[in-house]
Amino acid sequence: MSTSSRHRLDVLGLFDNEYDEDGYRQCSVTGLDVHRSVENHVKLFGVTAVVWLLVGGLFAITVVGTRWEAIGLLSASDYYIHLSMHAWSMLLFWIVFVEVAILYVGGPMVLGRRLPLTKLAKAGYLVMVGGVLTIYYAIWTTSAPDQAPLLTAYIPLPSSPLFYAGALTFVVGVVIAAVPFFVTLWREKREKPGETLPLVTFGAFITGIIAVEALLGGVVAFGGALLWRLEILTFDPAAYRMWFWIVGHGTQQINLVAMIVVWYFLTHVVGGAEVVSEKVSRTAFILYLFFINMGAAHHLLVDPGISTGWRIWNTSYAFYGATLASLIHAFAIPAGIEAGRRKRGKGGGLFGWLTSAPWQNPMFAAPVIAIILFGFLGGITGVLMGQLQLNMAWHNTFATVGHFHSTVVLGTTITFMAVVYFVIRTMFMRRFVSNRLASLQPFLYGGAMGLTALMMMYVGILYGVPRRTPEVVANIPGTDFSLSAAEPLFVVFGLAAFVAIAGGALFVVLAVGSLLFGERIEPGRVDDSLLADGGDASLGFADGTELTTRESIDLSQDPDDPVHAYEMRGTFVLCLLFLAAFVITYILNWYLITQLWQIGA
Amino acid sequence: MTSPLKPPEGNWWDQPVDRRETIWLGLGVGWALVLFGWMSAFTRVGDQNPIGETYRVSAEEFRAKMGEYQDAGEETDEGLVPPGDDVLIGAGQFYWDGLPVVLEADRQYDIHLFAYDVQHGFSIRPEETLSKQINLQTIPGYEWVVPMTFDEPGTYRVLCNEFCGDGHEAMHGRLVVREGEQ
Ligand code: HEM
Ligand SMILES: [Cu+2]
Repeated sequence: MSTSSRHRLDVLGLFDNEYDEDGYRQCSVTGLDVHRSVENHVKLFGVTAVVWLLVGGLFAITVVGTRWEAIGLLSASDYYIHLSMHAWSMLLFWIVFVEVAILYVGGPMVLGRRLPLTKLAKAGYLVMVGGVLTIYYAIWTTSAPDQAPLLTAYIPLPSSPLFYAGALTFVVGVVIAAVPFFVTLWREKREKPGETLPLVTFGAFITGIIAVEALLGGVVAFGGALLWRLEILTFDPAAYRMWFWIVGHGTQQINLVAMIVVWYFLTHVVGGAEVVSEKVSRTAFILYLFFINMGAAHHLLVDPGISTGWRIWNTSYAFYGATLASLIHAFAIPAGIEAGRRKRGKGGGLFGWLTSAPWQNPMFAAPVIAIILFGFLGGITGVLMGQLQLNMAWHNTFATVGHFHSTVVLGTTITFMAVVYFVIRTMFMRRFVSNRLASLQPFLYGGAMGLTALMMMYVGILYGVPRRTPEVVANIPGTDFSLSAAEPLFVVFGLAAFVAIAGGALFVVLAVGSLLFGERIEPGRVDDSLLADGGDASLGFADGTELTTRESIDLSQDPDDPVHAYEMRGTFVLCLLFLAAFVITYILNWYLITQLWQIGA
Repeated sequence: MTSPLKPPEGNWWDQPVDRRETIWLGLGVGWALVLFGWMSAFTRVGDQNPIGETYRVSAEEFRAKMGEYQDAGEETDEGLVPPGDDVLIGAGQFYWDGLPVVLEADRQYDIHLFAYDVQHGFSIRPEETLSKQINLQTIPGYEWVVPMTFDEPGTYRVLCNEFCGDGHEAMHGRLVVREGEQ
């Protein structure tokens, strides 16, 4: 191909899109003016993220193989090391690398600007990678007196000093990588003072602020722990818990907000969704900004030494301000799909907009699966276990692991997989090696992981199975007591988890395979399978004209046809169902807790 | 006007909000207040709250207290019968100091939870009904006094559910509740 000969320094032809003399090209799917500098950095962070997902996935195999005690793969000492590798690869490395890419998409790409300070972006990347490798090395070479850090590295249990240093490095790297994003917004606002930011950029901005808050907490936690480990400082273990969870939970809030930004973005581009009320959606983002950083308190609900008032105030995000924000998005996003699709003539009856949706397109299916599973499994359980009293039943049980796999896997990871698909199609310009498998993958992964998470919750709540232990169900060393009643559910857990891992592996194969062997999409051509049917694929291709999704997207600019005038009753019914599930599980959890003996003053 | 990728034009703030979305907002606010109100009220009227006094104590001090307590209590086959209403439990790598202990049903005890070395998790359930379980964190330097009244006689099992080092998986203890004297 002629293009590749023109870019001789290019790696595997992955960075060889054609740009005009200013370095721009117009994306045929979104209609955005994309500058080379943005695109290349998005690709860099996105592809690297998949590597960490692969590493984390490999350790998921050994972790599941051990927790399913019928298999009993690893010894206890090895187990803690493998679990630490799994946790850091997945929760920090995979997710945060995608998040940096999302900031670059939400900021400069959506605004049609170049990425400023690209040297800083690259420096941030290198520092982050340095942090990752240091952490991997530190975990893998753990030896006495040091212990595996797991995710939390609670002091005074010591981990290798290199581990804290690596964590600190990683956090600093993320802050550096975020700077070009903030500079972009700064310049945009200076050049166009009167203009409102697009919703996606606005959300990305909120994400960025929450990220900086969280990462500063991380500097204190890991920097302090490093100094403590080197015996330079004393650090109170209860204070460490708070600082750790400012970054530990804070990063989850970044995940949440970034994921919601992607939901607005992708459902719009591939599903024909619109924003039904700018006012309401933006207010919800503002609520996050004010309240969500109180989330650290969720992890301290059954800690000694913290007043009841502080715990209630903070765990409730001050009267559930952040929960309300999530409830708002829970309506606004599906409503956007419903109204947008009705407007495009794609929604008869109550649910026609859903049944006619492009489910075979993974960039639509994945976010929608994520919205549903995150809401029903992750969101509800998060509020439940975040109640002061119910937390006694959830804290550090396997149910907690079930909760956060519902949020960070069913929600964030599935959503971010869609982001990677999107980057492959619209930036790397590659077709998937198999459309069939790509359509199947989100359902396979989401379905199996959903079942896995449910089983985790059941064994945690109904049998009190603790997290972070290799032996407890079949055998507890040194006693005849065990939790063997949970064994049957562990069979379901184990099988479902292995299917989920296969679904994750399929994603990696599709992503890497498409990058290496996928057919190129020539510039200017419309990628038919990406056309949302909200964008009328039939029109686009039947008569040979190049109607792009963009024309359908442009429909949302029509002032005489406002989307809020369209019906949202399907969404309303779904939301009522959701609220009913919420209320029922709430009552069930409270019923269980009141069956206990008397506890507390 | 309503693309998330374009700056909204005109006076978007005053654009009408759909009636159903408004209802949903109302439901959301209402539910948020129920969540808050119930949690808050339950600390006053409810019987299960992770609430108790906390004291800053060093490991040496708690060990000394534990020694006196064990001397004053009565050692039986099933475990220690505490001398009064206080029950001391100290978590260490990888044992529960003060367990097994023998308590009476329907009598309120002050359970003193402490960690000697690193953080541990006090996870307790009756052997017969695994779903009746609760979990409290123990942190070195903090003695947490949580009152409890066990109403059902039986054997209660204590596990550690905070990772406390290689060997954590073997950390368990026992608490026996006997019929009260009446
Ligand atoms: C097929 C996919 C996955 C499976 C089967 C899986 C399974 C598990 C299991 C069984 C544990 C166990 C824990 C224990 O003993 O407490 C665990 C822990 C964990 N997983 Fe996953 N996981 C998967 C994907 C992910 C992803 C995508 C993320 C993050 C985005 C993630 C984040 C974590 C974290 C943070 C922990 C906790 C580690 C700790 O306790 O310190 N997992 N996982
Ligand atoms: Cu322990």
